[in-house]
Amino acid sequence: MKYAFFPGCTLEGAAAENLLAIKKVTEILGIELEEIPGWSCCGATHLQDTNELLGITINARNISLAEKIGLPILTVCNTCTLMLKTAKQRLDNDDQLKTTVNKALSEANLEYHGTSGITHLLWVLLKDYGLANLKEKIVRPLKNLKTACYYGCHIIRPPETLGFEDPHNPRSLELIVEALGAKVVDYPARLDCCGFHALFPAEKAVLKMSGTHCLVAKNTGADCLVTPCPLCQMQLDMYQPDREKYLCTETKIPVLHLPQLVGLALGASPKELGLNHHIVDTKALLNKIS
Amino acid sequence: MAMEIVYRVKRFDGEKSYYQEYSIPYEKDRTILWGLIKIRDEIDPTLSFRSACRSAICGSCAIRVNSNALLACKTSLDKQLALYQTNILTLEPLANFPVIRDLVVDWENKFKHMTEVKPWLIGEKDCPGGTGYYRQSPDEFLEISNPTDCILCGCCVSECTQHTNLRDEFYEPFIFTKSWRFTADSRDNSPKAHLLPVLNEGGLWKCVRCQQCITKCPKGVRPADHISRLRCSSMNYGFTDNLGTRHAQAFAEYIQKTGRLNEVTLPLKTEGIFRTLKRIPFALRLLRKGKLRPLYFPSPIQGIEGIRKIYNRLRKEEKK
Repeated sequence: MKYAFFPGCTLEGAAAENLLAIKKVTEILGIELEEIPGWSCCGATHLQDTNELLGITINARNISLAEKIGLPILTVCNTCTLMLKTAKQRLDNDDQLKTTVNKALSEANLEYHGTSGITHLLWVLLKDYGLANLKEKIVRPLKNLKTACYYGCHIIRPPETLGFEDPHNPRSLELIVEALGAKVVDYPARLDCCGFHALFPAEKAVLKMSGTHCLVAKNTGADCLVTPCPLCQMQLDMYQPDREKYLCTETKIPVLHLPQLVGLALGASPKELGLNHHIVDTKALLNKIS
Repeated sequence: MAMEIVYRVKRFDGEKSYYQEYSIPYEKDRTILWGLIKIRDEIDPTLSFRSACRSAICGSCAIRVNSNALLACKTSLDKQLALYQTNILTLEPLANFPVIRDLVVDWENKFKHMTEVKPWLIGEKDCPGGTGYYRQSPDEFLEISNPTDCILCGCCVSECTQHTNLRDEFYEPFIFTKSWRFTADSRDNSPKAHLLPVLNEGGLWKCVRCQQCITKCPKGVRPADHISRLRCSSMNYGFTDNLGTRHAQAFAEYIQKTGRLNEVTLPLKTEGIFRTLKRIPFALRLLRKGKLRPLYFPSPIQGIEGIRKIYNRLRKEEKK
């Protein structure tokens, strides 16, 4: 099981702990990752606002690099997934666009063929690796851990681009979390938006919204939130003190990257998974599973 | 025994709202609207809802089922029961609308925003060759084809994240679509008249990109894509002195320069030095946890020259 790995920019920056966890988890599971040489930023929903064709071409370039090494792309960020899959969907269904994009790619001696698929780690764990195989690897079932699952928009919407499951009632994340032995709480905000992409132009609204998501999770009795998207994780974790001034109440709850939660169940140490890099302390959560 | 299905309907009588359950015998291959009509015809004639064409054309039967907006006439009952693995469905009026009665919502206050974007052709261009009619090329028509498909059902409004948060500070998604439909119309002589209201009043740069509008639209209309095009158009008209433009342009510059985002300088590029100073407590918090590398500047990626050539080529073509 081998993939062309597309880490995304945040894993080199504020979500670097997610990269630690991904490397540890894939090592334990025997999933081989080959980082795409020369991958670039996907544009993070902003590039296409400056030039739609540029947004598609930059991601066609990323995909063509994976095609050169003959592997399907594995992403670990929802927004990277959407940007890459949007480019692929447009190119695979529009020969004229594909020709235009390939003319631009020829400047970089590259060509988009459409031979590499794009998948996300969440989908790989569920579909490619399989729940039964995952369960076999678990050495520390998270049986006392009450977990609120938070999908993040760009792994479910829009469905015609992402296409893994129905965005109105997805189950993939809950299935993984349950397989780890944790208890999934009934969390009404599980499909809501964290607001990450409008933080600068609409800061107050975004902080109130992401704070409310954490508050709702706390009110369900959850010990933590878990998400397959590093952008959601950052939005929900890093800004907790800032948003409390708007909500006038404490909203602190640990927010884990999905690979961190998987890694804990696979027996990795909290430090190996970068849990010491969170803004909201994770000690209480760790005590509960130790 | 034949299976019963239950519609748990949110009712409103003008003063109070409450949920009422109706049981109806299951029938195969029916729509959500079929159940509502059956309840009104056979159980409770006071139940109020709108419907007309039964063909997903008029847009009047939009409601929420289990918190998701949809057209009742277009939606398969079987698929909803399978999706939620239940025989009980909760039916509510669209969110982000005042409710008149039961599932009937009030559109009156939506017309204000609609009027602001001037949804009509302005300053008619001369008909070429005195023909008395306008010709559009296939490409010009395709540009307005998708936004023209909007049937004003309100599904996108109901689940729009930022309209829910900001109300009048962020237009309903279909208003952006309507704005783009006329901004992009080759026959229109005053595109800025449709564009400026969404930029100045409608919160064009405040969209969170949640994709709810595209997902909920029963007609395949793509308001979030129209928002992107309106943003691009606003930049082309020179309206660049705002946070959203600077943020988007920062990404374009980073990719051209090194291929990667620089999280440290992004706030500076977006907000300028003074507003960024307010983020010092935030930056210190990240530093303490090892989440910020202030001296880290991404080196150009392998193949950056190719990216720069791609930029040059596309920018030249854009100018043409």
